[in-house]
Amino acid sequence: MPHRRPHTLILAGVLFAAAFGGGCATVQPWQRGRLADNCMVFDADGSQVAYMTHWQEAREASAGGFGVQSGGCGCK
Amino acid sequence: MTIASLMPLAPSTSASTSKPTPSVEVSTADGATVNLADYKGRIVLIDFWASWCPPCKTSFPALDVLYRQYRDRGVEVLAVDLDERRHDAETFLGAHPHSLTVLYDPKGVSPQAFGVKGMPSSFIVDRAGNIRFTHMGYSGDVAASYRQEINLLLSEH
Repeated sequence: MPHRRPHTLILAGVLFAAAFGGGCATVQPWQRGRLADNCMVFDADGSQVAYMTHWQEAREASAGGFGVQSGGCGCK
Repeated sequence: MTIASLMPLAPSTSASTSKPTPSVEVSTADGATVNLADYKGRIVLIDFWASWCPPCKTSFPALDVLYRQYRDRGVEVLAVDLDERRHDAETFLGAHPHSLTVLYDPKGVSPQAFGVKGMPSSFIVDRAGNIRFTHMGYSGDVAASYRQEINLLLSEH
């Protein structure tokens, strides 16, 4: 009985997994209700983001850490 | 980049075609079923929409205006809701008073049959039951196209 090399079995396993273990699915346009939910949007509420950034800069003394919009005068 | 930005919103696209309306059943508000191919003899605009679809919030009231304008001339507008949860559609409809015929297809069988590629999508069917014009997405120009196409179909005998 011929001896099978281990990497042959590994290759067969990889090919089997690629063929039958795919986790991708096509989401149809009418199935995007959950994806379109507001909770799926990063930084959906601009006002809240601005408030939290301001609060965090003050608490952490990290003014400028999120980017600055002034001309360098320190009067942001 | 957000997931929402990947969704087909604008610009809208349109095309003319001529193929039979798929025979597919959807539900009415009271649970009865109707076949979308059973409207031969009338000009029908079939619109696939959902409450979560941003352009649908604009297109739905515009379709209602269109329907009020043309219903006396035998034009029917069918708004097929594709929400998975009926409650979402009812919340939307409660905020948008209308005269449209709203149908429901939470399983998404009818958009599959029609080959819907984006939300909202609309199909204008002639009296012979053939889909003559299709639209995907919604912008201000689409409403004008609807009128032009419906007027064309009304002029046919």
